[in-house]
Amino acid sequence: MARLWRYLRRYRGRYAGGIVCLLAATTLTMMVPWLTGRVIDAIQADRAFGRLVACIIAIALFQMVVRTYSRFVIFNVGRDIEYDLRNDLFAHLERLPLAFYQQRQTGDLMSRLVNDVTAVRLLLGVGILNFINTPISYLYGLTIMLSIDAPLTAAALGVYPLALGVVKWTSRQIIERTLRVQEGLAELSSRVQQNLSGIQVVKAYAAEEHEIGDFRALNDKFQEQNFRLARMRGFIVPVMNIVGGVGSLVVLWYGGYHVVTGRLSLGQLFAFIGYLHVLAWPTMALGWMLTILQRGRAAMLRLNELFAAEPAITTAPGAAPIEPFRGEVTLRDVTFRYPGRPDATVLDRVGFTVPAGRTVAIVGRTGAGKSAIVQLLPRLFDVEHGGILLDGRDVRTLPLGWLRRQVGLVPQDPFLFSRTIRENVAFGIDGEADGRVEWAVRMAGLTRDLAEMPAGLETVVGERGVTLSGGQKQRVALARALATAPRVLVLDDALSAVDAATEREMLDALRGFFRERTTVLVAHRISTVKEADLIVVIDEGRVVEMGDHESLLARGEVYADLFRQQALEVELEAI
Amino acid sequence: MAEILGEEELGKAYDARLLRRLWEYVRPYRGVFWCAVLLSPVNQVFALVQPYLLKKGIDESIARGDLLGLRNVALVFVAAIVGEFTSQYGQQYLTTIVAQRSLADLRIALFARLQRFPMGFFDKNPVGRVVSRLTTDVDVMQEAFAAGAMTIMLDALKLVGIGAVMLWMNFWLALTSLALLPVVVLAVDFFRRWARRTYRQIRERIGRLNGFLQESISGMTAIALSAREARTFGEFDELNSAHRDAYHVSNKLEASLFSVVEAVSTVSVALMLLEGGRLHAVSLAQIGTIAAFNQLIQQFFVPVRDFSQKYAVLQSAMTAAERIFSLLDLQPEPVPAHPRVPARAQGEIVFDHVWFAYRDEEWVLRDVSFRVAPGEKVAIVGATGAGKTTIIKLLDRLYEAQRGQVLVDGIDVRDWELGALRRRIAVVLQDVFLFSGTVADNVTLGRPDITPAAVEAAATHVNADGFVRRMGGYGSVLRERGSNLSGGQRQLLAFARALAHDPTILVLDEATSSVDPETEWLVQDALVKLLETRTAVIIAHRLSTIEHSDRILVMHRGELREEGSHRELLERDGIYARLYRMQYASEAAAPARAAGRT
Repeated sequence: MARLWRYLRRYRGRYAGGIVCLLAATTLTMMVPWLTGRVIDAIQADRAFGRLVACIIAIALFQMVVRTYSRFVIFNVGRDIEYDLRNDLFAHLERLPLAFYQQRQTGDLMSRLVNDVTAVRLLLGVGILNFINTPISYLYGLTIMLSIDAPLTAAALGVYPLALGVVKWTSRQIIERTLRVQEGLAELSSRVQQNLSGIQVVKAYAAEEHEIGDFRALNDKFQEQNFRLARMRGFIVPVMNIVGGVGSLVVLWYGGYHVVTGRLSLGQLFAFIGYLHVLAWPTMALGWMLTILQRGRAAMLRLNELFAAEPAITTAPGAAPIEPFRGEVTLRDVTFRYPGRPDATVLDRVGFTVPAGRTVAIVGRTGAGKSAIVQLLPRLFDVEHGGILLDGRDVRTLPLGWLRRQVGLVPQDPFLFSRTIRENVAFGIDGEADGRVEWAVRMAGLTRDLAEMPAGLETVVGERGVTLSGGQKQRVALARALATAPRVLVLDDALSAVDAATEREMLDALRGFFRERTTVLVAHRISTVKEADLIVVIDEGRVVEMGDHESLLARGEVYADLFRQQALEVELEAI
Repeated sequence: MAEILGEEELGKAYDARLLRRLWEYVRPYRGVFWCAVLLSPVNQVFALVQPYLLKKGIDESIARGDLLGLRNVALVFVAAIVGEFTSQYGQQYLTTIVAQRSLADLRIALFARLQRFPMGFFDKNPVGRVVSRLTTDVDVMQEAFAAGAMTIMLDALKLVGIGAVMLWMNFWLALTSLALLPVVVLAVDFFRRWARRTYRQIRERIGRLNGFLQESISGMTAIALSAREARTFGEFDELNSAHRDAYHVSNKLEASLFSVVEAVSTVSVALMLLEGGRLHAVSLAQIGTIAAFNQLIQQFFVPVRDFSQKYAVLQSAMTAAERIFSLLDLQPEPVPAHPRVPARAQGEIVFDHVWFAYRDEEWVLRDVSFRVAPGEKVAIVGATGAGKTTIIKLLDRLYEAQRGQVLVDGIDVRDWELGALRRRIAVVLQDVFLFSGTVADNVTLGRPDITPAAVEAAATHVNADGFVRRMGGYGSVLRERGSNLSGGQRQLLAFARALAHDPTILVLDEATSSVDPETEWLVQDALVKLLETRTAVIIAHRLSTIEHSDRILVMHRGELREEGSHRELLERDGIYARLYRMQYASEAAAPARAAGRT
């Protein structure tokens, strides 16, 4: 809740103004029934009442202004805080490391940012509005009614505690039943999700009818849960009407009796009916408010939990970039385990050095730890032991943004955004791109592909780049890395979906570029790696062989085996 | 097949075409529907009787000191309250019944339609988006019913009813009370004009904001790698503030409408008092009439005040309906005009000059022709991307060939009765898909003619009985996607599923990933048993499987390049020979090397 106050304080001026207006509006509202009563008495007594009516009209007009202002100010502040909260959450999410996202589902995070933030907003908007409105209304209403006639007040309001009780009970029931309905909906949607994910099996076994039958059963259950909720929900409005009605009845009967006996004027009777009417809504709102308060608090707790997630990988204080940066990469005795899987050592005392401007190739079987090495370079994770050094400085002592601009990593399964290809390529460029995008797509061998696309560089790739082939996606990602001209280029099997001939062409074109940079290549194809200055063979997290192509072949072990197997593959490709 | 509609759309609040289509789903419950509609005037009468009774009570009993009369009026009043409560609750309940039942039907219709969409649809549309049509969108429509937005027309009737009662009670007083009606009409119209655009804007901006959020969360690593956090935040901020600003406008609109209606209501009362006092002075209006009018005016403005809320709900319900119907309108899998089912199941497969591409002209299969005789076992081998899996998909008619023909038992698969074709062919995919449910359910997939005994027999035959018993029998529940089973166990279960369906043709995409040695043996043994007495097409990854087949088809870049027995193909020293040396020959060598290392 402390965080909430911080946000509220930011808007305290406007918020206070809104609340003052709200108080004014409520005060004015409570004057109307009393004035109406006076008018009735005046009419009955044949006295002049023009000024009283003028008063009512003036109140109505003034009230219109303050009420409009109070409502939109208070609701707007709710939206403002929602905006702040969402911005802060997003900024926080941006600072969280990859490890965090591996343990959380997108759907869960989305629900925090959408549903929980909404619950907090409701608390601050309608919640506060009614929280202030209800007690104030009661204060005024009770004071005036008691001053007119205490026993009648007691009789007329006698039904209100009951109503409040009913509303409280109903809203608890409604919450419970709403939860059931939400569970039902979740069940239904996970059933559909599963059906659609396994649609191929469903079709292959002609099991559609059975699936429909299954779904129908769940759907019926869901319908029943909805009925249960509706039975409760349907209560609220009629109960509200009945409360108003019973109040009027009591006033009419019991109050009418007193009018006859002369204890009460007809106008006072009138005022009473008016107050009952005005108080009906705040009474109802109270039950509802309790729910909003509860849900808002729970949501805020969940959001705080998210805020508490530690941005483990950040720029250390006093970090300064390397000037000038040559691009030497050293792994010194690196040991690493993925957070959340402490039992599996991914890298075990791995060490090697790539001199500035040279190319190193890392080869090994799936799961050997190659990807872990490249993920450590731009600090997607931090090492557990040892260190990653650039020009002799530990990456943890460098500014994070600078580091990532210097180390261009192209992952195997790249993520494209549903934007144009130009925007995807220019993703890492700050400011003017001046020709760098065009250069990068040329280098990445995309020129021919772009010529065939409807709008060339301005073609929008679908969600996650669905409209592109795997090889095209990888090359767009490569172009993205090239466009920022990093000193250290890291390709994590980044051309696996590109055919060998195209890959050859691209690597030839990139040779000049590679010569000016340090390049780390993770690759399966021997043809890709054999020209590297250094080849590191990894197996089960350890360096098992290291050297250049010729010397490793001469050793006749792991690398040589791999080479023989792939020679056959190359032969096959050529057929 | 086109992609389904996204989140951005137009914002009509009232669309006769959509309502007509919706009516098709309400029609089966029209009896209940009309009852609910008819309860509206009944409820109205009970509500309007109360102010009238107030008038009677004041003018005829209180004014004359008639306490007995007052009691009688009070008793009728009680009846009116009970009547109002009952009719209102009844109306809401009946509306709910209609809404729930018809929307449940709509949901079933959608689900059933989804089952008939061709595979191409599922390749193009992310599962999540399709699911939200069935859940979120239908839910939005349900909300609209619950909020009474679907019956917004009844509110208009209410206004007419109250107006009529006023006019009947006192003509002049009624005219004065409703004098400000034009102001309200103008205000509501103004609101509607602005709200339409604002609400549409809001929905678009919510869609964009959430889309951006979703994409950013999924692609956070890409953002980090490009060190683009600051700019991405800037973009988010822009969407976030646009979202906020749109709501600022709607808050202003709603606050204004609410307050204007309240003010008009109060001023109307004031005017009525003024006129009432004048009329009372000349004995043209009784004091009770004034009291009744006071209440009637307040009743009159309640639906007007609720209008803004209902309008927003109705508008989103209409867009939800639009999206749902656009999904329902998509073409399902083509069904042959005269579906054929051959009387005798033989199990012959013929591919006759088949060409196929998933997209445009990127041919995955080029002019593939082969015949598999009944009872023959054929292994298909080839490098990744050679087109092996596609052959399976065409055979089962999950996709259709662009050129050439696929024939099963002499009939083009496009002319087969689809269900019958798929029942004759059992497919075991590489990535075994298990549903959350019992083991038995996963074997039968709901086919009623597969008895528990048959399930057990099938499982026993393919060596699955042992682990099923260990995990608690055929009634034990599998977690989503069978995550509580090992890879080998899942394969055995898939074998049992295929066997239980007793197909004439068995199609198998052998798993590449190896399993533990013990299960591996069970799988191999089960496979041999499974293939007995059936036509089988196997995408083979294991040497032993290839050795058990009668013939080998070698696929290479979408073409059928070699064909023959293991020995023949090795002697040819072509693609197969190289594939063999590359993949299968290492099968024998790999365990040896692993053993040597330890």
